[in-house]
Amino acid sequence: MNNCLSLRRHNVCMVSDFFYPNMGGVESHIYQLSQCLLEKGHKVIIMTHFYGDRKGVRYLTNGLKVYYLPFPAFYNQCILPTIYITFPLVRNILIKEQITIVHGHSAFSTLAHETMFHARTMGLKTVFTDHSLFGFADASSILTNKILQFSLADCNHVICVSHTSKENTVLRAGLDPKEVSVIPNAVDATMFVPDPSKRHPGKITVVVVSRLVYRKGMDLLAGIIPDVCQTHPDVQFIIGGDGPKRILLEEVRERHELHDRVKMLGLLEHRKVRDVLVQGDILINTSLTEAFCIAIVEAACCGLQVVSTKVGGVPEVLPPDLIYLAEPNDQSLREELERAIADKRAGRNVPPFMAHNRIKLLYTWRDVAHRTERVYKRVADLVERETKERLSRYYSCGPLSGKLFVIAAVLNIWFMCFLQIFQPRQKIEISPELQRSHILKSNANQKNSKEEQRSQKRTLLECEDSLTNGTSSKILRRSNRKRTKSKEEL
Amino acid sequence: MTTKMVDKQQKRWRKILYEDQSVPDNYVDSSFLDELQKNLHTRKYDYWTVCEQSGEVTQQISSLGLFVVAYVYMENGWLSPHTLFTITTTLTCIGYLLKVYIDHYYQDTTSNRTLLDDIKTALVFAGFSYGLSPVLVSLTETISTDTIYAMTAMMLLGNLVFHHYGANAALVSEALSLNAGLFASVCLASRLHTTWHSFSTVTFSIEIFGLWPMLRRNLRKHIPQTQRWLTFLLMIITSMLLWTFSTVAAIFYITLFLFITFICPAWLVSLQPLKNNIHGPWDEAVIEEKKVS
Repeated sequence: MNNCLSLRRHNVCMVSDFFYPNMGGVESHIYQLSQCLLEKGHKVIIMTHFYGDRKGVRYLTNGLKVYYLPFPAFYNQCILPTIYITFPLVRNILIKEQITIVHGHSAFSTLAHETMFHARTMGLKTVFTDHSLFGFADASSILTNKILQFSLADCNHVICVSHTSKENTVLRAGLDPKEVSVIPNAVDATMFVPDPSKRHPGKITVVVVSRLVYRKGMDLLAGIIPDVCQTHPDVQFIIGGDGPKRILLEEVRERHELHDRVKMLGLLEHRKVRDVLVQGDILINTSLTEAFCIAIVEAACCGLQVVSTKVGGVPEVLPPDLIYLAEPNDQSLREELERAIADKRAGRNVPPFMAHNRIKLLYTWRDVAHRTERVYKRVADLVERETKERLSRYYSCGPLSGKLFVIAAVLNIWFMCFLQIFQPRQKIEISPELQRSHILKSNANQKNSKEEQRSQKRTLLECEDSLTNGTSSKILRRSNRKRTKSKEEL
Repeated sequence: MTTKMVDKQQKRWRKILYEDQSVPDNYVDSSFLDELQKNLHTRKYDYWTVCEQSGEVTQQISSLGLFVVAYVYMENGWLSPHTLFTITTTLTCIGYLLKVYIDHYYQDTTSNRTLLDDIKTALVFAGFSYGLSPVLVSLTETISTDTIYAMTAMMLLGNLVFHHYGANAALVSEALSLNAGLFASVCLASRLHTTWHSFSTVTFSIEIFGLWPMLRRNLRKHIPQTQRWLTFLLMIITSMLLWTFSTVAAIFYITLFLFITFICPAWLVSLQPLKNNIHGPWDEAVIEEKKVS
């Protein structure tokens, strides 16, 4: 415990449009990372926009405080990009929570970009994690890449989930590669324990767990299912997930009369994924683009052999004896799948628990948190840039866009001066902290079995206690009122 | 310990995540961006080929010019609607025979329509146009001439913009292009006074906006050497006809023609080396359309 506290403590604000109750890779990444950082003794809060009735301040497991801000989702769960409207409230929270580092997640998230921009204006350090890959060819990617360049021009450090993702981000945002770290995603190995007794004896089960959309290569999958079913009578498919391409797969199943061979489960809850995975011998991933691909790690962790398309960061993720890499076309994918089936029949594959034990040590959230902590330390030690240098960084973004970015940055500085007059920093009440000693004590009781404690943490998230702290939501409401008042004065 | 460290340092860095390679997270290897490729699919253009292919655009512009010429001639009373109808119908029949010949000679029959089907369709179109021409002639009569001209100009521009020049772009819509052309003809029909005028205008527009581009496409596909002569011939006819009533229009047309045929290709070829298209492992894989059935 002493060891924990003797480390430098950071006050981190994770910010993204994507968070619980939305479910997905980014959401669970933020949650798991925050939990591990809390465990290491840092202060972590999360900022996102409201979801339905979920507004104001909520506390999740271990006192993880989440602000659901009153900005409505506009497109794809992202708020409307306005740059300035979010500033008063964001500033209020950042001051109130005494934040030192703002950590934005996902290139799609408008809220993350805006909050990081405001944080830089206020002189706080920012870190950004990019979870996705982008092309360069079409008009929309040119625009989004320009926005990313604006957002990252003054960011202190960027984290990518794979080396390919790093190359991509460095090119897209014109960054110095030294300012970009690679920290892979992780899996919670306790949730993905193999169970060979659930497998179908005498059969070889190929599992697909994915959203059924074009980008996940469902057209490729639909192309290989009939052939594989025809040549291998003992192979069956289980497909979990839903999406626009479901109809295509159902058509293929219909046309080739494969109802007893291809089982479609529809939308899966995240906690049910493991129950589906353990039934399989092989997982096939047909994605057309992928920054990291957590699905194949989860599968390997459950002891499955993985067949995957060789796209994006996928080749970096698993050691060669756990994965069969195929080119993204029908023929190569079918060959690799058949190779995996043959190896399975001959018993040449890695035993499930051996694979589990290897993955368990490879990608852990604690490791991610440890490496992220190093990034925080590095960022916190940086000397704050002068305004002149900040502006010149924006200016060098491009002949026209550079000038526009400078204007935006200068306007934000002025806006901050106005806010300082109408809502002085000194008058903003500092938010009281949840008694950390309580949490640490209750944790210490469970410390003898860390595994158990961590799995408990997860289940707690799911029945998420609506332990809405009365006082702090009142503070938020008050600050909202103050904000509207200050707007009127403006 | 130290020797071990040295060993690890000397071991070549690999682009993997599943092993701890004892380097900091922000380590940049010399192989960084090795897989980056530039301008994979950039085409090298030959100036004269591009010039010749720009004919696709100028031919359509010339066709629009001919349509306007026919209107102006009828408006001025230099051309009777009967003559126009006779000329266009004859030309259409010749074009049809040419199409039949090409289809037969090059064995390119995509549809199984018979001669009877085509005659039936032609009669239906002609019958409807004739029957509706009293309506068309008075349809936009109450609208002022300036508005009509403005609308016609807009519609003809629309026809040019959405026309299918052979590239598969999002903007291309043959139906929209044809409809814009027909709408322009309906607008102009009301400025002429008899039902025969409006009938011949509408049939002419169907022929020149609907059938003529199809025939041109057929010719281009099977007998490409006709193209440069066709472009030249259309340009000569159009500019001479325009010259008879407006020198300005003729000069403007010729300038536009020269600009599109000679200057635009030079521009394209000279800008080509500036192309900077980046490819790498992060690109979304493209599925080859082979078989899904």
